[in-house]
Amino acid sequence: MSDAARPLRPQPVSIDIEDIAVAYDGPPVVDHVSISVEPGEMVALLGPSGCGKTTLLRAIAGLEPITAGRIRLGDRTVSTASSHVAAERRRVGMVFQDWALFPHLSVARNVAYGLPRAERSSPRLTAALSMVGMEGYEDRAPHTLSGGQQQRVALARALAPEPNVLLLDEPFSNLDASLRASIRTEVHRLVTGLGITAVFVTHDQDEAFVLGSRVAVMRDGHIEQWATPTELYSRPVNPWVARFVGEATLLAGQASSGEARTALGGVPLLDTRARGAVQVLLRPEDLALDAGGTAEIDLVEYYGHDTTYDVRLDTGESVRVRLASVPRFSRSDRVTVRFAGDATRAYEVTDAESTDSATATRPASAEG
Amino acid sequence: MLVVAALVIGMVFAGPLAYVVIQNVREGADLADIVWSEDTAGPLVRSLLLASVVSLTSALIGTVLAWTVVRTDIRGRSLWKVVAPLPLVFPSFVGATALISGFATGGLLEQLVEPLGVGSLPELSGFRGAWFVLTLFTYPYVYLPVAARLRHLPAAPEESARLLGRRPLQVFTSVVLPQSLTAISAGALLVFLYTISDFGAVQLLRYDTLTRAIFANQLANRATSFGLALLLGIVAIVVVAGERALIRRDPPTSGRNRSRALQIPLGPLRGPVTVAVGAFFLVALVGPAASLLHWLIRGLSSERSRGATAVDVDGLWSAVVNTVWVSIAAAVVTVAVVLPVAYLNARYRSRTGTAANALVVSGFALPGVVIGLAFVFWVLSTDLFVSFYQTLPLLVLAYVIHFGAQATGASGVAVGAIPPHLDDAARTLGAGRLRRFTTIELPIMAPGLGAAGGLVLLSVMKELPATLFLAPIGFDTLATRIWSAMETVSYAQAGLDSLVLLAVSGLLTWLLVIRAAEHLD
Repeated sequence: MSDAARPLRPQPVSIDIEDIAVAYDGPPVVDHVSISVEPGEMVALLGPSGCGKTTLLRAIAGLEPITAGRIRLGDRTVSTASSHVAAERRRVGMVFQDWALFPHLSVARNVAYGLPRAERSSPRLTAALSMVGMEGYEDRAPHTLSGGQQQRVALARALAPEPNVLLLDEPFSNLDASLRASIRTEVHRLVTGLGITAVFVTHDQDEAFVLGSRVAVMRDGHIEQWATPTELYSRPVNPWVARFVGEATLLAGQASSGEARTALGGVPLLDTRARGAVQVLLRPEDLALDAGGTAEIDLVEYYGHDTTYDVRLDTGESVRVRLASVPRFSRSDRVTVRFAGDATRAYEVTDAESTDSATATRPASAEG
Repeated sequence: MLVVAALVIGMVFAGPLAYVVIQNVREGADLADIVWSEDTAGPLVRSLLLASVVSLTSALIGTVLAWTVVRTDIRGRSLWKVVAPLPLVFPSFVGATALISGFATGGLLEQLVEPLGVGSLPELSGFRGAWFVLTLFTYPYVYLPVAARLRHLPAAPEESARLLGRRPLQVFTSVVLPQSLTAISAGALLVFLYTISDFGAVQLLRYDTLTRAIFANQLANRATSFGLALLLGIVAIVVVAGERALIRRDPPTSGRNRSRALQIPLGPLRGPVTVAVGAFFLVALVGPAASLLHWLIRGLSSERSRGATAVDVDGLWSAVVNTVWVSIAAAVVTVAVVLPVAYLNARYRSRTGTAANALVVSGFALPGVVIGLAFVFWVLSTDLFVSFYQTLPLLVLAYVIHFGAQATGASGVAVGAIPPHLDDAARTLGAGRLRRFTTIELPIMAPGLGAAGGLVLLSVMKELPATLFLAPIGFDTLATRIWSAMETVSYAQAGLDSLVLLAVSGLLTWLLVIRAAEHLD
């Protein structure tokens, strides 16, 4: 694939989003958001539906005007509150959630649509098609293709004009679960190989972590946290992010001198200055189970590579535990839950977020 | 941009109505006087009664027929699909004449049923006659959108209703009907407007409606005539506004992943239903056509016995050419003019769009007579436009204003048929506005716009009064030739011309409307 992709040489540029807002009538949909993307970097905008992530992506593409701030692509200012470079002049490629293939045009004419007139039947077209493994489909109509094939055509179409930036709006959400992972890996390899600057929107934490070198977690129009996946997972800035990114249990505890006393016993904390009542972040894999004791197994879920247990402590709190093994306990077994991880985060209880949080939460990637 | 265009278009369409208002003021007519006068109240009530009853029966027939043809396993479905919209090709005056003469003493029908021992037939005239004739020739306005809608409704809700224990009829009333209401009411609205503005059928069937009163007063009592025309326009706008306010707009059926609509097996009823549908088309289509053929044959033989000249075929040919191209011109212009309004209504919810739409629709409610007269007076009263009198551009403009309403529905559907994000995708690929329109939107809208234009084209081919007033001297259309042949009692010629009109417009209807019927929802 990388061989055939050689004729396409996009020039990656940086993306600088400086304190932008997007508003229609009413409260802003995107509210004072700033991020900087390095040339050739691939980043994710992650958030629940309605958080403004797609609007932010469309603002970068020039499909939405902004009401405050500034967007720069490389050293070119493309959006301010008062000026706006039209989408068709930005050299930005975009893959849409529904792929938006032109239904009346063949695969070849779809891919060639963004090429200059003289190059519409050129090696560039062939290169773009072979890059995604769709040679031989030139004359097919989009509706005769499978979802995965349509996705590839959409990608080839976006990349053929050699854009400076590639934007992807929930690019895998319309694919079958069985196909999603393999296409994702393929796109990952392709985009990384091209070295193009890419921003993609997703509500799936796995997708954001796998593809994004950095991830912006968005909520209600603003960015809660902008960090690498490892940072996000181990040090979420607040309980909301902790629960949105991965599975999290927030357990009540009393903090003093770098440790919190909880129903599970002592848990080491990252923030040694924490004092008083806190909510302690427990990831399921940071916990271990021993037979017999102060808790009861509520639910057992076997995933193949691991097993997850919902465990109800005798204090009434619930925690989620993941063990890399076949199920060793069954429902109603008595167990003891033990903390077996590294120092973790704690949040002050005064935080309004955490009042209802002493329950195990499921990851947002399960998209209801 | 779009808003400005829609405003300008709305103003153009409001022209004749505005002219009628101005004339009312100028003639010093007291509208209240006219409305409450004995001579007006009768025709007004009759117009409203006729239009209401015709739209109700058309809605009923159109819906039942659409459901039967689209959703059941009736025999000969593909034939009925082609045949069902075809009665639309009859100009009401031709259809009325054909049916009158068919039912008349010594007419075709009597000759056919006499051997069966049937004595006398009911005379076709007055309210019942107008009701019968207009319903037969206008129900396709309901049939077309409803059939398109029924074809697109997803099967899952109906299957769920069945699984929840509802019988087919209950499924129809509780699931299918509510989802088709918009299509039914939009069609019934066109029927209503067609009926209150119809002149040919009510004139021939001697049922005194407003249009007859307007026509009767047009020369002798111009003030009354314009007052009545204004009244008609107001009725139309009230009805259009009422329909928009009362009927909840359905969400459009989604363009992608359309599953096959559910089909109901008729079981033992299959035979009888097929026979009933066949009998209906025998009356609505075959009967009138046979009646026209009967004229032609009888006329030819009597003329031959009198040694008179045979029918004029050369003139007929030039009339066919005139009719076809003026209709195509009017259809193309209409679609081009209505498209911005359709865009505005389909893409954005705006008052301007709604208002422009209402004005476009109001053009359909004014009878051709009034539009013709308005244009004649207006053009003759201005120095600037007097040179346009009896020119083709003026005739085409009159058609556009008169029939724009027929194109709005299908054009709106065409705009709505463009999948979301295509425009955005084309923009990110560097395409400017013009390129996006010509390479993406226009090709995707083409079938829907074809259907919209087809409906206009069909109406123009049938149109009589405005053509009589505004056509250049010597510019014959098929409709005007049929009219003059009827006036000179040349039955052979009238029969031949009518059959040619039916054939030509039937062909064009099939090409543009029936084959694109999918695109009316």
